[in-house]
Amino acid sequence: MRGRSWLAAPFFVGAGLLVALPAVAALALSLTEYSGIGGARFIGLDNFERLLTDDAFWRSVGNTVIFIGLSVPLRLAAVIVLSLILFERFRGVTFARVGAYLPSVVPDVAYALLWLWLLNPLYGPLAAGLQGVGLTSPEWFTDPWAARLGVVLMSVFQIGEGFVIALAARRALPQHVFEAARVDGAGGWFVLRKVTLPMMAPVLALLALRDVILALQVNFIPALLLTGGGPRYSTTFLPLFVYRQAFGYFRLGYASAVSLTMFVLTAAAVYVQYRLAKRWRLL
Amino acid sequence: MSVRVEGLGKSFGDVDALHDVSLSAAPGELVVVVGPSGSGKSTLLRCVAGLEEPDIGRVFVGDRDVTAMEPGERDVAMVFQDYALYPHLDARTNIAFPLLARKTPSAEIDARVGRAAEMLDIGDVLDRRPGELSGGERRRVALARAVVREPAAFLMDEPLASLDVALRRRVQIEIRELQARAGVTTVYVTHDQVEAMMLAHRLVVLRDGRVEQIGAPLDVYDHPTNVFVARFLGRSPMNLLPADLIGRSDPGVSQIGVRPERLRIVEPGTGVLDGRVVAFDEFGDEIVIEVDASGHRVLVQSPRLGAPEAAAEVGLKFDEADVHGFDLQGRAV
Repeated sequence: MRGRSWLAAPFFVGAGLLVALPAVAALALSLTEYSGIGGARFIGLDNFERLLTDDAFWRSVGNTVIFIGLSVPLRLAAVIVLSLILFERFRGVTFARVGAYLPSVVPDVAYALLWLWLLNPLYGPLAAGLQGVGLTSPEWFTDPWAARLGVVLMSVFQIGEGFVIALAARRALPQHVFEAARVDGAGGWFVLRKVTLPMMAPVLALLALRDVILALQVNFIPALLLTGGGPRYSTTFLPLFVYRQAFGYFRLGYASAVSLTMFVLTAAAVYVQYRLAKRWRLL
Repeated sequence: MSVRVEGLGKSFGDVDALHDVSLSAAPGELVVVVGPSGSGKSTLLRCVAGLEEPDIGRVFVGDRDVTAMEPGERDVAMVFQDYALYPHLDARTNIAFPLLARKTPSAEIDARVGRAAEMLDIGDVLDRRPGELSGGERRRVALARAVVREPAAFLMDEPLASLDVALRRRVQIEIRELQARAGVTTVYVTHDQVEAMMLAHRLVVLRDGRVEQIGAPLDVYDHPTNVFVARFLGRSPMNLLPADLIGRSDPGVSQIGVRPERLRIVEPGTGVLDGRVVAFDEFGDEIVIEVDASGHRVLVQSPRLGAPEAAAEVGLKFDEADVHGFDLQGRAV
């Protein structure tokens, strides 16, 4: 192994140029005022000081927390339900599996535009369906909570990778254990709670960890293209906030400071989850 | 309680896994189903457990026809070859699992798990998960999980197949004692005929999904109904010779069989037939001598002392009482 480690060099060169270098640059930039043109002015920790009292920043943090709090559990639940149902063999299961994965294959921008149509409160199929049963469609793009839920809803259908991982995890469970449970007289619900889910738990815990990181990113394109961060900043999540600061207002120094803060918050959230998973003997 | 199987048939696609299999185990009896791999013995056991649905035939536990019942309703406990313990649960919960699934009161669970653990001498490892247990402890936990249910019957699917031979012989004694103490009707499946002989109150020999013979182990050994059973049982297979080679002309007998331990080496010309020693299988305590008699390979089991030299010309002798006659189809005559 050791003699071949140079084979990994291309990866490390790429990672260095594309990840490490920009990260260091962001760290440096976060201590400056920089508009992208001309020179950067060193201002110490002023950006971070400003961030503490920036209502727009805190609103974005709040929106992001709401998004994570809703989308991660829902996505995980969808992954679990889908993987357990589509683990069984039945007619058309292969199509169903493809169908579950498909939304993750669609390019994000196309996916967002599709939802723009789906969620259209006047002409969209969802609104038509709701009207058909006598309900009125939520005002997806004008009501703050409806807009947030719309973005969450979009994210819940893009769970292809998680689904495939959970399906593989379910398949890896030993068949005899489930037969033993049947002979032991355990019913379906009991087996699900006491055998299937606990045995899948390590993978599910990892998926939850990963999804928290992912949830910080997947809301960017819907927020940018569908809601424009609104109404009333209700869908301005941290990535969009950073994007606006950097490329809308050309506050690259400030945007870098927010990015770093976002990174620290993510790391903290992941660490807490990791500790919990360890304590519950999941990992 | 008794376990009874009547006219069981099961095929997987073109493969006839079981064909008209009937057998019964009396209350408290230890019935061993033995056969080479692919003989359908595991399928048979899984049909009794309810994990496999027979195409035809009925399964009874006691007086109840359980053929259409779910595995959990049949009141049978199964021990799997790989033990199938729940890896995320400690040994205590593993053992308690069947009781938990049936919503047994926790005081009763504690008492019964305690008793089962004591019976199998695993009281001090109950807090460990299967991954932290030795192979032997895992097996005992699996057995305890069966014992704790106090079921109508134990079904054991080659629980010792993964053990080395020396250990297997020792654990067989444990299993035999456990079964006797628990007094639970047991159907035990194995491909190891020595294990089958040693454990069984009654032996069922299975081949290609059909029952070849049922009986007490020594009865089956002494009176095999056909060539397959005759050669399958025993540490070295029974010798088969054309009847005319030893000058026998009983009507219907086309070949005769003699067990290696029933043959004696004598001076050439003084026995029933002559041959030349071609090889030895040393077992330490005894020796199996391979003799070539007119182109037929004959095995002779003999004490090491006084065994002939390699390539020696020898005579072979046996008593008339030890001769098994078989017809052209291999059936005992």
